[in-house]
Amino acid sequence: MEAVQFLMNGFGVAMQWHNLLFAFFGVLIGTAVGVLPGIGPMSGVALLIPITATLTSGLDPQSAAASSIILLAGVYYGAMYGGSTTSILLNTPGESSSVVTALDGYQMARQGRAGAALSISAIGSFVAGIVSLLGLTLLARPLSELALSFGPAEYFSLMLLGLCAVSGLAGGSITKALIMTVAGLLLATIGMDSISGVSRFTYDNAYLYSGLEFLTVAVGLFALGEVFRTILDRDKEDGSIAKVGRILPTRQDMKESTAPIVRGSLLGFFIGVLPGAGATLASFFSYIAEKKLSKQPEKFGRGAIAGVAAPESANNGASGGAMIPLLTMGIPGSGTTAILMGALIMYNVQPGPLLFEDNPEVAWGLIASMFIGNVMLLALNMPLVKVFAKVIETPAKYLLPIIIAISIFGVYAVQFNTFDLALLLICGLLGYFLSKNDYPVAPLVLALVLGPMIENNMRRALTASNGDFSIFITSPVSLIFLVIGALWISIPLLMKMRGRSVIINEEG
Amino acid sequence: MNKTFDRYASIIFLVIGIFFVVESRKIGASSYGSNVGPDIFPIGLGVLLILLSIKLFIETIKMKSETGKGAKPDYKRFLIIFAAAVLYVALLEPLGYVITTFLFLVIGFQVLEKGGWVKTILIAFAFSFGIYYVFVNVLQGSLPGFPI
Repeated sequence: MEAVQFLMNGFGVAMQWHNLLFAFFGVLIGTAVGVLPGIGPMSGVALLIPITATLTSGLDPQSAAASSIILLAGVYYGAMYGGSTTSILLNTPGESSSVVTALDGYQMARQGRAGAALSISAIGSFVAGIVSLLGLTLLARPLSELALSFGPAEYFSLMLLGLCAVSGLAGGSITKALIMTVAGLLLATIGMDSISGVSRFTYDNAYLYSGLEFLTVAVGLFALGEVFRTILDRDKEDGSIAKVGRILPTRQDMKESTAPIVRGSLLGFFIGVLPGAGATLASFFSYIAEKKLSKQPEKFGRGAIAGVAAPESANNGASGGAMIPLLTMGIPGSGTTAILMGALIMYNVQPGPLLFEDNPEVAWGLIASMFIGNVMLLALNMPLVKVFAKVIETPAKYLLPIIIAISIFGVYAVQFNTFDLALLLICGLLGYFLSKNDYPVAPLVLALVLGPMIENNMRRALTASNGDFSIFITSPVSLIFLVIGALWISIPLLMKMRGRSVIINEEG
Repeated sequence: MNKTFDRYASIIFLVIGIFFVVESRKIGASSYGSNVGPDIFPIGLGVLLILLSIKLFIETIKMKSETGKGAKPDYKRFLIIFAAAVLYVALLEPLGYVITTFLFLVIGFQVLEKGGWVKTILIAFAFSFGIYYVFVNVLQGSLPGFPI
């Protein structure tokens, strides 16, 4: 098998001692990020980009990119493990993909089975992580070869599909989500136009020539916006933390949760591959599916272990699945993967079909490191779960100002100017007001990352067709993408008109 | 959801859309060999934004106004911290990293919860010096040092 050979080379990269260290710190910080209610995976990853950029500054560009993406991805899937801890012990999810875990997990904790719930979610996450990585390993080559056959018109439509999918599921109002997407695309046009070399909307401001820095905007909108929200809305911290108790699940627990874990992993993986549908949706769907399949549906909501095992497997499976469109096609399907993509672009590594040919070290090193990271997470989460339970008690008093200070340090360390710091604070304010009023910020960041690529592909396609816009419909592949994109926007709209409630993806 | 906010937001987005359309037309048409210039993408998006913000404005008219719920946001605490952050950013280069970070953290900790001065000063001191030392001396990065 060709893929196995590549994967082995990847392990060669991932097993280098500094990359092992990076993966370890990634998953460790990720677990903490998942546990802390103030920061989610998106702000966690955004905050760490500047820090990894400094840590890897001594390495050559290829291995620097590989090492930092190993750490950042570790934060991403590590947060999926950590998120369950607060759901179970405190009934407050650390991040949105663990919301359903709280339904049965907290009930189990009240019955004194918190340890079993925690360990089963760690086991479920581990199985799902491995399942989704196997899928990623097998699908990576064929998918990237397929994507290589796409021309600019197909790419344009595919990226449009990605944006539609994220906007369609991003919030309560599709109008608002679309406004945020278009605003993100417009912001992406600021700076030097890469095709003609003309500067646009720069007004002789030297900082604007290179465009708005993606990192600054992302850290401001997510991390600072979240901190400002916590300060303003006075998050109440009531509720006592349940005792962890016996950690190992009983044989009965294992028997009851084996099938849900397998189903949750597969479901999560396939939902994760779809753009726009991230970990939150995956956990919701798998919970609903388990309740339907169960012989005793009345036990759900009262401490059924299947109600913990399935969604926790699903959200980790989805985070693995979400790497597929990112790595093979260069289309991030969610806010967090958009930030990962931005990080790769910062290192001049372009995610997409060519990634596996041009930067095999980065692509396969990352995949191999995710295998290692998942093993580390299992090892960390089973015995150390009591330690992480303590992290919950970190007082907000110290946490919030330090997050602001880290944001400012991070942006300054990479950009070296106060213009970006001012932009950071403005984005923080915007992030707070926009998300408070139900304007999702994830589509904006996604659009900011994809904007230049969408524009370049559109103009290359139009140049080839002499300005004839019908090229996007005459190519069958492109037409299919556009139709799916349109459906993605219109179906939730139709369902809402009929009064059906639509599950939205808050993780973005 | 807040009706007034949405109405203002729709007007602001409308203005942004118009701004981009008007300003795009000023971009020189210097794209040789192609009739697809650097202005077409922002103009198209600007028009789209105008249409969407009009749609949002119409939606706000139909929307029932909801009265604010829950506790009133804690503006006082937030404004102090935000003002401190603005000062932090403005003074970072003239005063150097360690002093500004230390002061910002002390203010931040104390505004969020008064008391515990020893712990406050210790944590702020450890963070500002720790980051500076590790970044500048170990990682060979560059941060504004101390005022001379």
